[in-house]
Order: sequence, then C-alpha cells, then structure tokens
Amino acid sequence: MTAVGTATPSAGAYAPALARLRRTLGNRRLVPYYYLAPMVVLLGLFTYWPFVHTVYLSLTEWNLRPDTPLKFVGAANFAEITDNRLFQDALRNTLIYIAGSIPLKVLLPIPIAVFLWSLGPRGQVYRSVIFLPTLLSFVVVSVVFLWLLNPIGGHAQQFFGLFGLSFPNVLGQPDSALWTILLISTWKIIGFNTLLYIAGLASINRDYVEAMRIDGAGDWAVLRHLIWPLLTPTTFFVLIATVIFSIQQVFTPIDIMTEGGPANGTTNLFYMVYQYAFVVFNVGYGAAGTVMLFVLLLAITLIKVRLLDRHVHYDQ
Amino acid sequence: MRLSAPWRVVGHTLLLMLCLSVLVPMVITVGTAFKPSNEVYSILPWPTAPTLDNFVRIFADTPFAIYAWNSIGTTGLRVAGQLLFAVLTAYAFARWDFPGREPLFMLVLGAMMIPHQLTMIPIYILVAELQWFDTWRALIIPNLAMPFGVFLLRQHFRSFPKEIFDAAEIDGAGHWRALWLVVLPNLRPALAALTIILFIDTWNEYFWPLLVTDTPESRTIQVGIRQFLEEDFDDYGALMAGLTLASLPALAIFFFFQRQVMDTFVASGIKG
Repeated sequence: MTAVGTATPSAGAYAPALARLRRTLGNRRLVPYYYLAPMVVLLGLFTYWPFVHTVYLSLTEWNLRPDTPLKFVGAANFAEITDNRLFQDALRNTLIYIAGSIPLKVLLPIPIAVFLWSLGPRGQVYRSVIFLPTLLSFVVVSVVFLWLLNPIGGHAQQFFGLFGLSFPNVLGQPDSALWTILLISTWKIIGFNTLLYIAGLASINRDYVEAMRIDGAGDWAVLRHLIWPLLTPTTFFVLIATVIFSIQQVFTPIDIMTEGGPANGTTNLFYMVYQYAFVVFNVGYGAAGTVMLFVLLLAITLIKVRLLDRHVHYDQ
Repeated sequence: MRLSAPWRVVGHTLLLMLCLSVLVPMVITVGTAFKPSNEVYSILPWPTAPTLDNFVRIFADTPFAIYAWNSIGTTGLRVAGQLLFAVLTAYAFARWDFPGREPLFMLVLGAMMIPHQLTMIPIYILVAELQWFDTWRALIIPNLAMPFGVFLLRQHFRSFPKEIFDAAEIDGAGHWRALWLVVLPNLRPALAALTIILFIDTWNEYFWPLLVTDTPESRTIQVGIRQFLEEDFDDYGALMAGLTLASLPALAIFFFFQRQVMDTFVASGIKG
C-alpha cells in the first residue's frame, strides 16, 4: 500500500515534466538537428575523437594488450623513432615516391591528354582503355604484377627467354623494387590523371587555339603559351591528389609485393606506421609516426579541399 | 584543334603502347583463369583448350564464396548507410537556416581533411573494446560517415530552387515526406553517380578490412586474395580466376555506364 501510495503522486509529478520534454523535443526548430545528429555522432566517434586520441597515444607506451597498463612517456617516442633506421629509410623512400611520381603521374599525362583532346570524340576508345586500371583494386593489380614478374616462370622471364635473355629479379633489389612499385602505381593512376586533364582542357575555348593558329603559331607555341597556363589549376589539383596517393595508396603494393623489403628498400612512412602499430604492436611508436604523417597530410589536404571546391564549380 | 602529322604519329604510337601495357596484363590474367593446369606456365597468354576448372576449384577448395558474400554484404550495407546519412545531412544544410549551421558545416567538411588511415589506431582499439573484431560491424559502422558525399550532394542542392520546398509544404507534405517524394527523385543522377563511386571504392578497399578481419567469417575478397599469398597457394589458375571474379563487378558497372563512371570519377577526384 505504501509503495503504491508513494508511487502515484511522484508519477503525477513527472507528468508535466514529461509533457514539457515532449513539447521541447517536438519543437520545429529542433528538426534540422535531428537530421544532422547521425552524421555528427559518427564523425565525433570515428573521426574527431580518434584524431585527439592518436595525439594522446603518441605520448604513451603501450603494446595494445588490455591487461598491460599504458605508460605516459612524453615526447620520447618521437625522439626514438626519428633516431631509428627504419624511419630514416621510410622517410627517404616516401620522398622518392613523391619525387618520382611528379614526372610520371603529373607531367606525363599532360601531353597524352592534349593529344586525346585534339582527337575529340574519336579518342573515346583510348580513354576507356587507359581508364580501366582505375577500376581494379590495387590488391588485384599487385598480385597480377607479382605473378608476371616472378623470376621463376613469370611471363616477363619467359618473354626475355625467347631472345636468350634473362629478366632481372626486379623485386629482389632495394632500388629496382622501389621503382617497380612506382611504375606499377603509375600504371594504375595515369589514365585517371589523364582524364582529369582532359576535363580541364574541355573548359578551354577552341576558338583561342584557332586564333593562335591563324597567327601562325605551331603546336609547341599553342601548348606552351595557351594550354599550359590555362591548365595550371588542374595541374595543381593533380599534383596534390598524386602526392596524397603516393603516400597512402602505395601501401597495398608494398604490403602485397615486398612487405617493405628488401632491406627497407620499399617501405614508406605509412607502411612503417602500420608495422609499428599492428605488426609489432608498439602503439606509441605507431601513433607518433601517425602524428608526423598527419602534419604532412593535413597541410596537403587543406590545399586539396580548397581546390576541390573550385574544381567542382568548373564542372557545373 | 588538329595537331600536325608527325605529332599525330607520335601520339598514336604512345597511346597504342599505353593501351597495350594496360591490356596485356589483363588478357594474361583472364586467359590464365581459363587455362587447364598443364598450360598455366605456358607463355601463350590465352588457353588452347579453355576450361572452367579454375573457377570450380576456387569455389570448391577455398572459402572464396564466403569472401565474396562478405564483400557483397558489407559493401551493400555500408554504401546504403553512407548514402542515407549523407542525404539527411545535406538536406538539413540545404533546407534550413538554424543556429550553429556554419560551425556544423565546417565540422562535416573538416572531417574530409582527416584521412581515414590516420585515425586507424584508436578506431582499432575501440573496435576491439566493443568486441566487434572480425565481424561485419567492424567493416561497416566506423565507415558510415562520408563527408565527401555531403560535399557532393551540397553541390547539387545549390542548384535546387528553394521554392520546391515551399511548394511541397503548401501541398501539406512535411519535411520528411518532401525529402522522399520531392527531393530524392530530383537528385537521382547525383545519387546514382555517388553510389557508383562509393561502391567501387568500398569493394576495392584493402587497408581497413586487413586490420579488422581475422577469419573467413568476415574476410572480404581483397583480404582473401592476400590470404591466398600468405598460405603459399600455388594453384595459379584458380588464383587468376579469383582475381578475375574480384574485378568483375567494377568492370561490369563500367561496361554499362561508361560515360557516367568516367565523368563521376573525374568530378570527385577520388581514386582507388
């Protein structure tokens, strides 16, 4: 009896509060926030919080096991990593990947795009074929090339054998292995970058070209004084996208084809982070490496997003 | 613009070589997939006696069918979720002015500047704590927010006359019904384009599935292929059959929607 007696008045006391809550939640002005809530929660949980947490973890020492305590060590991880041979090799390779990508993936597609642009609709078959590698997964691409380049019985070896030659084991030497991965990633991306340039070229008024022609300008003059300057925003966009690609996406061929070897010859900063965090389970090193990559990528991505905004504008 | 004759010759030669370099590895892969086992090491790219044995073996001898199912299921659910949340978010930003709109928009766009790979360690720890490791949940849920989708849809909403919202309102449609009956049908081309990109991107993803899958129960095709290498799988005919099947969905989409796929990839600047 007493229990019911106390329960009834308190339920009565809550009723107006509940009604108020319902009125508040049903307020029309809250509607936009309901639509935004899932995205905001997801981004908070899986983007922004991990971002902060990574910075914290970079200052600690932990082996990812729940039963071992996490130890705060300050900036020691950063000092230890940068002293490490693996980091120095990874940094050097990352810079080579970027530097090698610029002529192969950023500059080479320009003349290809200009040529395809000059063909007009007749170049459609070329465009479709060179675009194909964009659609393939990098895992598939890496396994196929691993098989073609296999020193024992691979197609490259057999083809050279027809002429009595021997195909070198390109993945067995540090330098040639890095360039092999660089060339394969070029194979994967060159068609896509060419299409980006063709989209940029499409906004160039062909009358300008004709006008220059009438004035007696040759192919080179048109390329140098008309196309190159008008293409600059696209070139810059491709450059940034390619640098990001060269840091992140080569992870897959590195992991599938060489696992960073031989002798750290193909590893890069991102692969180093992966190995620290998930192969040897040194969370502090992994997080510290991530923070360093962060600074690099954030700077590049900031520029990219600004350009993307402009790029999509051009399309409309 | 027409190039002079010598440049045209150089151009066609270069392009033909480039196309060959693209097609030869693909022909060898698909050709080997149809080769009987005694021809796998032959230099001829295509089989003399084509057979489907390799396709039979990849399904019979390996968990390839489970990998494929995991890829189809997780890709489908993840893309559906990404589209839903991107549409809801873009709709709110396009339709209403509300306090905090600008900061919230910056919050969404700002997430585009934090590459997924760089938040992986804490997400991995979170996934382990939630006991999601080696489940579909680990593959899907951390990847449901797609700020790029919001960004792309916003571009389309911009060219959307605000009067449409008012007209729907006058006709008695609430904001929820207006979204499904008026807004989405008008966004169909943009949504189709976004779906194609998200699908191909997710289907080909390697890094995250590599981290959070551990057994055939949740392994996707891409990680499954790596697993074949790990186990020194030496049935190359079957391996090539697996690679062919893994590439088929994206290539099929491209075959049917060539122009849209190329235009969409270019407009997005995303690449696998």
